[in-house]
Amino acid sequence: MIDKLLRRLGRDHGGERYRYVSDERFGPVSESRAAERWVRTTCGYCSVGCGMLLGVRSGRAVAVKGDPDHPVNLGRLCPKGLSEHETLAAPGRLTEPRIAGRPASWDDALDHVADRFRALTDKHGPEAFAVLSTGQLVTEEFYALGKLVRLGMGVRHFDGNTTLCMSSAVSGYKLSFGSDGPPGAYDDFAQADVIFLVGANIADNHPLLVPRVMDNEQAAVIVVDPRVTKTAMLADLHLAVRPRSDVTLLNGIIKVLLDEALVDVSRVREVSDGFDELVSHVQAYDLDRVARECGVPAEDIRRAALALGNARSALVAWTMGVNHSVQGTETVTLLNTLCLLTGNLGRPGAAPMSITGQCNAMGTREAGFTASMPGYRAYDDAEARRDLAARLGVDEDRLPTERGRAYPDIINGIIDGRIKGLWIIATNPVVSFPNRELLEDALGRLDLLVVQDGFETPTTELADVVFPAAIWGEKDGTFTNSERRVSRVRKAVEPPGEARTDFDIVLSLAGRLGVRDELFPGWTGPADAFAEWRRVSAGQLCDYSGITYERIDAAGGVQWPCPAGAGADVPLGGTPRLYADWTFPTPSGRARLHCVSPRPLTDPPRERFPLLLNTGRTVEHWHTRTKTGRVPILDRLAPTGWVEIHPDDAADLRLHAGEWVRISSERGAIERIRVRLTRTVRPGEVFVPFHFDEQCANRLTLNEFDPISREPNYKQCAVRVDPLITSNRRS
Amino acid sequence: MTALDLRTLSVVTEAEPPELLPLDAGEQYRFSFAMDSCVGCHSCEVACAEQNGLPVEVAWRRVGEFEGGDHPNTRRFHMSMACNHCLDPACLTGCPTDAYIKLDNGVVAHKADECIGCQYCTWNCPYSVPAFQPDRRIVTKCDMCLPRLEEGLKPACVGACPTRALDVEKVNVAAWRRDHHEAEAPHLPPAGLTLSTTRIVLPTKVPVETVAASDFQLHPEDPHWPLVILTLLSQVALGVSLTASTGLHRVVAAGFASAALGVSLLHLGRPLHAWKAMRNLRRSWLSREAALLGAYAVVAAAAAVVAAPAIAVLAALLGLAGVFASGRLYVVPGRPSWNSPLTIAAFYLTGLATGPLLTGHPLLAAVAIAAQLAVWLANLVRLERDPRREWNGTVALYQHPFGWLSTLRMAAPVAGLAVTFGWSSPVAGFGLVVLGELIGRYLFYVTVVPLNIPGTFFPAPAQR
Repeated sequence: MIDKLLRRLGRDHGGERYRYVSDERFGPVSESRAAERWVRTTCGYCSVGCGMLLGVRSGRAVAVKGDPDHPVNLGRLCPKGLSEHETLAAPGRLTEPRIAGRPASWDDALDHVADRFRALTDKHGPEAFAVLSTGQLVTEEFYALGKLVRLGMGVRHFDGNTTLCMSSAVSGYKLSFGSDGPPGAYDDFAQADVIFLVGANIADNHPLLVPRVMDNEQAAVIVVDPRVTKTAMLADLHLAVRPRSDVTLLNGIIKVLLDEALVDVSRVREVSDGFDELVSHVQAYDLDRVARECGVPAEDIRRAALALGNARSALVAWTMGVNHSVQGTETVTLLNTLCLLTGNLGRPGAAPMSITGQCNAMGTREAGFTASMPGYRAYDDAEARRDLAARLGVDEDRLPTERGRAYPDIINGIIDGRIKGLWIIATNPVVSFPNRELLEDALGRLDLLVVQDGFETPTTELADVVFPAAIWGEKDGTFTNSERRVSRVRKAVEPPGEARTDFDIVLSLAGRLGVRDELFPGWTGPADAFAEWRRVSAGQLCDYSGITYERIDAAGGVQWPCPAGAGADVPLGGTPRLYADWTFPTPSGRARLHCVSPRPLTDPPRERFPLLLNTGRTVEHWHTRTKTGRVPILDRLAPTGWVEIHPDDAADLRLHAGEWVRISSERGAIERIRVRLTRTVRPGEVFVPFHFDEQCANRLTLNEFDPISREPNYKQCAVRVDPLITSNRRS
Repeated sequence: MTALDLRTLSVVTEAEPPELLPLDAGEQYRFSFAMDSCVGCHSCEVACAEQNGLPVEVAWRRVGEFEGGDHPNTRRFHMSMACNHCLDPACLTGCPTDAYIKLDNGVVAHKADECIGCQYCTWNCPYSVPAFQPDRRIVTKCDMCLPRLEEGLKPACVGACPTRALDVEKVNVAAWRRDHHEAEAPHLPPAGLTLSTTRIVLPTKVPVETVAASDFQLHPEDPHWPLVILTLLSQVALGVSLTASTGLHRVVAAGFASAALGVSLLHLGRPLHAWKAMRNLRRSWLSREAALLGAYAVVAAAAAVVAAPAIAVLAALLGLAGVFASGRLYVVPGRPSWNSPLTIAAFYLTGLATGPLLTGHPLLAAVAIAAQLAVWLANLVRLERDPRREWNGTVALYQHPFGWLSTLRMAAPVAGLAVTFGWSSPVAGFGLVVLGELIGRYLFYVTVVPLNIPGTFFPAPAQR
């Protein structure tokens, strides 16, 4: 009592809680962040794949440091990475299985799901169950999950949240080159003399790529983005195109290249098909038309085209500005075409480079059995089917003959009553899927919704059964980053409560379904999956056969293809670039040039909805804030969503900075969101970050999808902004 | 290949060479910041919090932003700033307990043991760097990771910057004192106020007109209730002392003066250490205030007990000096709405507007009230005329959200005079005038807009 009073009166000042101690490796540091050991791992947020050391003391993760020896980030991290250890002790973890909202044992939860799955598919056929996976698991888990879902459960409809971000890049690569697989390497940022970034705000979304761009002082940086993003401000030339005019722009650039004879026509004819059609197609895109439709000066477009055409080596890189479109796939083919025409492929500094989203989106693309069979094998490729079946030791008939429904078509299948059961793994569609009302309606119609995640999310709230999963930092395996580099992910601490690794959950459910011994004979951990995946991928473009955990450690990450064997002359760190010889994994070995015409916006601004909405990200947060919203400092730095409005529009609407407004579209509304006045958006356009559940941008977005990749068109829809209150506006 | 066990790195690799160059004579360490290289990733801010284990309410390093130009030629600039380790640190000059020290290596270090949590440094620093840390009940701030510096290592923020915009370097102190224009940047207070040592490399072609992302935020500041009461009571006491003619008057004055001192303790984070407040009489007006008002209370009590005119005169003189120190300590560049002799005048006028009503000099009070309102309006005019938001922002706050309180602040003393003269009820009149002064003093604290570094769209923790 007296002690408490004295403390209250300030007898001492709590300095002991902030005492410094000396860490052997990193020097003096607050005792609260002092580690007993450092676990070498890879960041679990974005696809850049930064190496990090996760500090552990007394079984708790206490600190994160960039791994000074990792080739990707050389010891530096972004704010999310620097505080990533805090996700491991964050509140809101799922610690026990739940059935109908009540705690249950693992036995009961697994039995329940197995029984309900059997009952559903017995009654309605295998068509009635679907699985939605993620880009967040380790490759070993993706591989095991794919086997269980496709071969063990016989599920036809299996996709992942990678369709919400990367599928257009996948489809575009396939259309141009015959296979998925980003051909370039991060080193290309350093080697290029032109860096052409299309719809890629790397400063917010892939921060550790920025030093590579900045350090390359000789490179001309050209950025195509409707907004003046942090990345656009780094550019030597920024083409602030109107939303979705990228197709027109790229056609125009190709025409300039042809007109200026900057294309090595004989070589292009030699390695690709479709050149003549392309030449006649782009004739309609004269510079004046392109400039007019893109809203960019003709001279700037010409400058960009000449820079690309004259570059010794040009890196063409893109992210969601391209992919998040109904024309995403087609736009990706145009970017590939641009590289083929200008000879920018398979050389240092020269590549069409899709910068992926999630930490292991690449892993699921390669091993996950969703858009293609493991090892980028096409479902309709008879030879590949025979080969895969033989390696898996299963009957060829067991392999699905087609991909099945993609993510949005699974949602549509639920709405029209064909799909009655859904298993969602490590993704939060309530916040991340476009047109939230429709999505929530769909999930409400299911007979069985199983959600497997590390944290409580708006999606787990709707689940019939919840599987609590271990998260990054609590499990072992590998991640593959955007440059095809396979890095290790390691367990540093135990998962909380009853939570289990996704790997364990997959194998346990396989056991309940009676397929464990057949599909996973003698498997005890991720290393078993990795061993089999190396055999299955051998000889494919994404060849992991020469990659071992030991080699990854020795090299600090290994880039596939990395074939095994004495004949394979691959450096320790793997193969930096694809297509060095310009032969492609198509039947003819030739690439394909595609003609693309722009499609008009389906939801253009009009009187009732006069503004065009763009969505995107901010550096402080990751996706739906399941983790970063629970890290106090990240939440403090950006605690709520906001809408960026040009001051001219705000003046017309009589809005003030900081005011709360309502934004609505044909589909729904964000009821309360704050106005941020900025001239980084064009008058007539507004921007909302998509991370926030409370200010959910996907209440506004269109449920419209790329016809090839099925990726949503998150980027362009018409909205209106209305003031919430008319008095006391200053707050 | 042999199996390498790199599961954990328990072995220390070869000790890395010290990152810092040793100082030569006349040099100190300072931050440098290349604004063009900063993309506003906030890694420095997070690294600082991690390095020092700071609670989320405390930010020793902050990143702000400002933008200019128009689409598509908009430019946004980021400003990462921690302590500027100034050559003339205002925190150090004003600190009543001498808790700050300018070390030989240039670091302006804060000694937690000496800090009593009075927060005067948070008013003095034009960059709003020192911040009250609630869990420790003291102020804390960046020390450039002093334990790291001492081992030749750079601070955590520097090590974390992905684009190497931040660094620590050496500076020749005398040369910087002569020419410190490189510490200037848009939306920063003038470097000359404290001789900030941070060298800022500005981008080329910064637009002439820029807006900071935080400019729209005008938050009422903490009212500091114990200080509202302290200043009000000590001034009322002085008003009584100056016009006292009876023993009762002197008892009342002593009562107010002692109550003021008692209440002042509630302001401190560590009241047990309140005595340390008088350690810096040489430099700190806060130390002088504490000493003079303390002496005033003691002598006023003596004057109440011993009917010796000399003691009463001494008490009044000490009161005059104490209230001067009290007002003078608010006259700091970091707080523009206070930074005027009008503040000192207002403090005296509060005494003269109230005390004489109790000692039978209502006319004097009436004149003082008129003068007080004139001083208040004069200050508002001074602030309104200045285009800077830290000046005219105060006027905006008086209008909203404090419009009705501002009206009441004017109406109460007028009503007090009406009661005094109309109903010959000076005690009730006194109550109303004190109410007016109370509101006025409350508004004085909450409407100040401190000088600061530019912030982001979201308020920094100390301003929530």
